[in-house]
Amino acid sequence: MAEVSLTCKRTVISTKPVQPGKFCPLSALDRLMERNYLHIVFYYQSTVERNPGELTKKLREAVAEMLSAFPIITGRLFKTPEGHWTIKCNDAGMRMVEARAKGSVEKWLQNLDREKELQLVHWEEMFHKPYFWSTFYVKVTEFEEGGIAIGLSCTHLLSDPPCATMLIKAWADMTLGGKMITPPLFHPLPGRRPGNTNTNHEPYVELIDYYKLSIEKPAPVFNTKQVTIILAFDDEMVRRCITRIAPVESSRTPFEALAALFWVVVSKVKGTKGGLTNMSICLDMRNVLGLDRGFFGNCMVYNKVNGDGIEGNELCKAANGIKEVVRKMDADGIMDLIEWLKERNYQDLPWMNGYDLICVNLEAVDSYSAIFEDNARPLRVSYYIEPAVGEGQILIMPPPAGSRNTFSRVVTITLPEDEVNKLLEDALIQEFSPTILMGLNKMHSSTSS
Amino acid sequence: MPQMLPNFSSSVKLKYVKLGYQYLVNHILTLLLIPIMVGISIEILRLGPEEMVNIWRSLDIDLVQILCSSFLIIFICTVYFMSKPRSVYLVDYACYKPPITWRVPFSSFMEHSRLILKDNLKSVDFQMRILERSGLGEETCLPPAIHYIPPTPTMEAAREEAQIVIFSAIDSLMQKTGIKAKDIDILIVNCSLFSPTPSLSAMVVNKYKLRSNIKSYNLSGMGCSAGLISMDLAKDLLQAHPNSYALVVSTEIITPNYYKGSERAMLLPNCLFRMGGAAILLSNKNRDKRRAKYRLVHVVRTHKGSDDKAYKCVYEQEDSQGKVGINLSKDLMVIAAEALKSNITTIGPLVLPASEQLLFLFTLIGRKIFNPKWKPYIPDFKQAFEHFCIHAGGRAVIDELQKNLQLSSEHVEASRMTLHRFGNTSSSSLWYEMSYIEAKGRMKKGDRVWQIAFGSGFKCNSAVWKCNRTIKTPTDGPWQDCIDRYPVHIPEIVKL
Repeated sequence: MAEVSLTCKRTVISTKPVQPGKFCPLSALDRLMERNYLHIVFYYQSTVERNPGELTKKLREAVAEMLSAFPIITGRLFKTPEGHWTIKCNDAGMRMVEARAKGSVEKWLQNLDREKELQLVHWEEMFHKPYFWSTFYVKVTEFEEGGIAIGLSCTHLLSDPPCATMLIKAWADMTLGGKMITPPLFHPLPGRRPGNTNTNHEPYVELIDYYKLSIEKPAPVFNTKQVTIILAFDDEMVRRCITRIAPVESSRTPFEALAALFWVVVSKVKGTKGGLTNMSICLDMRNVLGLDRGFFGNCMVYNKVNGDGIEGNELCKAANGIKEVVRKMDADGIMDLIEWLKERNYQDLPWMNGYDLICVNLEAVDSYSAIFEDNARPLRVSYYIEPAVGEGQILIMPPPAGSRNTFSRVVTITLPEDEVNKLLEDALIQEFSPTILMGLNKMHSSTSS
Repeated sequence: MPQMLPNFSSSVKLKYVKLGYQYLVNHILTLLLIPIMVGISIEILRLGPEEMVNIWRSLDIDLVQILCSSFLIIFICTVYFMSKPRSVYLVDYACYKPPITWRVPFSSFMEHSRLILKDNLKSVDFQMRILERSGLGEETCLPPAIHYIPPTPTMEAAREEAQIVIFSAIDSLMQKTGIKAKDIDILIVNCSLFSPTPSLSAMVVNKYKLRSNIKSYNLSGMGCSAGLISMDLAKDLLQAHPNSYALVVSTEIITPNYYKGSERAMLLPNCLFRMGGAAILLSNKNRDKRRAKYRLVHVVRTHKGSDDKAYKCVYEQEDSQGKVGINLSKDLMVIAAEALKSNITTIGPLVLPASEQLLFLFTLIGRKIFNPKWKPYIPDFKQAFEHFCIHAGGRAVIDELQKNLQLSSEHVEASRMTLHRFGNTSSSSLWYEMSYIEAKGRMKKGDRVWQIAFGSGFKCNSAVWKCNRTIKTPTDGPWQDCIDRYPVHIPEIVKL
């Protein structure tokens, strides 16, 4: 029984022609992410009574307007003589798929799992000749009984989750008000600020080594099927977690607390001995590097956190370890990495999240301000960083409604199926009793509220 | 240096000689009449009034003779005015402008072509080469059904396209002219490749609730020159029906005609044909004499269908896999040149000034009697017309006509720019070109315009218009938002 049926697939063209001969080169951080791709789904309720296809048409016209400001999306991948990817802005457009789904969006959200959710995005693997391969795919699914889902898939070569969210926000602004509040900026990553060079500065060796190792590792083995669950931690739960970790509340951030919590629990679930399981954190470096919110491109950096010797329940030590690494990832450290990457000029493609447990900090991603119609904030926003081939993924995301200063968070966990079961039954998780927004369909009858 | 000067001065001398000759021949009647009139007035002044009265008395004319003469004069005048063909005025026209979201940049067209014809890379390459040299720009539009992957040219989609194009053009026209649906007496719709039942003209009657005694016609299958055939039909109908309005709609519906095969000669139309349509209001009412934009002077139609090669040169057929498309033969340009020659042989005597006709006659006589090796004299049509609208069938057509008629690049600018901005919109392209000339502020009262269209069959049709009133800029029309960007330089080959 196909719940989602395809209406059509087309190419959307920007409203302004692109000047010929324009190129958008990709940065060193961009090029590392070639093997990865993103899926993001935004869910909305219907606010006004509309004919079928009417809202999709409005969205389509707005996206054509919006694409005039994003020539990098309507361009195609092209290899420079040095063998690096760049985008030739040839005005070829973006693929858009339109679909219809049975039921209402609220009902859909109640019994959801990874496979079902991925029906709301459209993705095509990179062609052998990517010159006619679209890098971005948008799927708009109208629910027959009300609601709409907007799915975006894109290659990680061009954008990371914050950047893709910025794109959806620009589209929403264009639909709602006819202009973008944060127009995009296309420029290379900033260089080291001249005044701040400390001649005795030690390069951030651990970060560089981590990347070196990732690049040189062989391809990971994909064997276990992974499932995804989403848990919501409200403000009070997170504060309790923080208090658990540190006596003085203000010295820990929600990210550190939740990352430490899950690091400990997942290690237990995986049965790792002699310390906590291998974990890397992935942080958004836009603020650190002083980049404007409209910056388009990859700016998330991975780093390993050291879990050797930390015992099963030592949340404090885990959190300290994470905090230490976050502190060290400052502007100078990132600059060291970028310079090293540029120098080395690697042609090999790493699997950046193909090995360890990855914990990604998406707290600052402003997904819930992408409003397409009056008074309709997204009901939920889901992120998937594909392919899911490593030990697992933890994505820490902002909460759906309300103010920005709250400590509540939504956590997406991707792990092999048996580990997820154990995780949900774990004592520590039970202690905080988060709301299950998306659980395991087959096992649990809905414990969601 | 001295060698150049004699050439230069001799060419200047030649130019003045030519100018003098033209002035003399074209105004021969005036030049003869003036001395005669001067002579008579001097004679009258010399004779004086009494002498005049004496001459009058000597003629001995009585009342009966005067009455009979005046009745005769009145009778002759009445017969003359009654049998004079009614003037046909073009009140106004409106061109359809597709929404910019339906535009097809070269890269997108090639990408779709590559995705759909993935097993026929040679055909994809062929299309790319055509597109590079086509003279089209990045803003030409295709209907939504063709943007899908794969394209879905259903009948419903074709009807939708027809509705959007035709109804937008007619709405725009009604707004410009203030005409009401009940005033339309004659309706002619021409669309070559899409001919549903009920016809497109019935669709218009249905939408606008036209009168039940309307004279409606639907012309299909007549190719890109059908627009001028419709004009001719409207002109003839307006002779038969006094005091009437005729609404003519010229369009071509792209949706059902997207060729899905890979035969090269049949892929050409996919690359060149784009969405477009025009609605024109013609009138023979006296009160429109003041507000009409143009007056129709001549329509000349030439049909070369009796020649087999001409008949088959644009031929709709199934390819080896059963997919229907339009086959363009390799000697299309040769046949077009032949048809044009035929057409201008007929139209020449109607429009050319006496000087050119005499020259042509002398060279013809000379070739026949004295020396067959004399070069045939190509009349200078720039003397007969201020503006030229050459059907934007493709870059080759415009180049060929520019060469044959010895036109400057400014004369063909309207055609080239229409091809660049709108592509080959088939029968409506002439109206986009007229609109361009108006938008540039070049259309003045008394200017004569020559519209030439070619079409399958093989036909070459011409229409001659005379501008009735100077058209002021800025004009509202399809060029409204982009006229300032034109003219653009169109390179020979656009590198894709």
